[in-house]
Amino acid sequence: MATTVYLDHASTTPVDAAVIEEMRAALALVGNPSSTHVDGVWAARALELARARVAALLAADPDEVVFTSGGTEANNLALIGACSRGGAPSHLITSAVEHPSVLTACDWLESLGMRVTRLPVDREGFVDPDAVRRALGPDTRLVSIGQANHEVGTIQPVDEIARVCREAGVPFHTDACQSFGRFPVPAGALATVNAHKIYGPKGVGALRVPPGARLAPLLFGGGQERGLRAGTPNLPGIVGFGRAAERIAEEDVNRIRRLRDLLVARVLGGVSGSWLNGSRERRLPGNASLGFEGVSAWDLVRELDRAGIRVSRGSACSSGSTAPSPVLIALGLPAERALGVIRVSLGHGTTQEEIDRAAGAIETAVRKLRQA
Amino acid sequence: MTIESDDRLDLRGVRCPANAARALVRLESLEAGQVLELTLDDGEPAVLVPESLRLEGHEVLLHERHEDRWILLVRARG
Ligand SMILES: Cc1ncc(COP(=O)(O)O)c(C=O)c1O
Repeated sequence: MATTVYLDHASTTPVDAAVIEEMRAALALVGNPSSTHVDGVWAARALELARARVAALLAADPDEVVFTSGGTEANNLALIGACSRGGAPSHLITSAVEHPSVLTACDWLESLGMRVTRLPVDREGFVDPDAVRRALGPDTRLVSIGQANHEVGTIQPVDEIARVCREAGVPFHTDACQSFGRFPVPAGALATVNAHKIYGPKGVGALRVPPGARLAPLLFGGGQERGLRAGTPNLPGIVGFGRAAERIAEEDVNRIRRLRDLLVARVLGGVSGSWLNGSRERRLPGNASLGFEGVSAWDLVRELDRAGIRVSRGSACSSGSTAPSPVLIALGLPAERALGVIRVSLGHGTTQEEIDRAAGAIETAVRKLRQA
Repeated sequence: MTIESDDRLDLRGVRCPANAARALVRLESLEAGQVLELTLDDGEPAVLVPESLRLEGHEVLLHERHEDRWILLVRARG
């Protein structure tokens, strides 16, 4: 079989043809979007059109959109930016299942004297809004809880958590990279989004900074992006992000969910000692986090790759390591079970035929690895 | 004769060339012939914005100073 089946959309999505086309045109713009001549205006127009499109998807005002080099930078800006405005070291609340770009930024802030509360999650990966309420203190600077988990797909009750924070007068940040365009971002929250999960280019993202949020920048320079992100912006990338944000509404999430459910049913029905991680109901439509007893996920990913099926072990960011995923451990999985988990993630190009092929390949590969 | 505007955009405090860019983006979202009212700061914005809009084929119907700000009425091109 020559063709491959790409089922790793949670790591990154293929770039839409219309996005590439608009990016190509943006590459040909000569002006710097800060130059006050007409070529500057044309470049700035492309930038502002993209800002308006991303803002529309966030249900925010264009002024609230600060473009960054991706989700990682936006998360760092939210966390480090909120905690480095001076004053006494203070307190930050997050969860044990956040993306490494949140958790390692928290580790850094902790090393600088900040207090960090990492809230536990239940077996399906949910953070309890009441636990957020109980963790709040008079010196809490920020609460950061991701909207949807990158590994197990659990969708957090972010609207409730946002309400708890609003009542306490504490800013709320959510990493919405996985859910952007599929679920509305909570009103009034700081929110991290990026382009490469919505069929846009890699290396571009944004932080939505609501009015009144007080942040210090990470990068200093020419005052671009309202002073929150200096540097000539990545115009072609941002233009691609804008186009992708406009097109994501066309993604048929119901079809993706149906195919995902089909895959899960086939695997759980066809492979003994297999299970699904996360929540059955409140999960990302394209995500299937599947575990297999007595199988190393590392071997399974290799075996599927040879069969032309591209999936991830845990999350792509930690795929290189041999330690069990901290997210799965936080869900209460014993290490040996956590080491047998793969993430299969579907996108809008996924077909029923591909799902049939993937399900068959998983059954075959697991059987083979168990016999070895 | 007074001209009714279909939409307004206050660009005071928005620097050049982002002000011109935002005006263009807004005009492109309007139907041909609709009128956008812009409020601009005095100085460079009052020059760069109308010139850029004209270059893109939009018609500047009014360009008037009101103390420290400028009001523009612009008809979106077809
Ligand atoms: C939940 C989440 N946050 C942050 C990121 C990092 O974003 P980026 O790759 O744009 O830096 C990712 C994925 O890459 C993600 O899935």
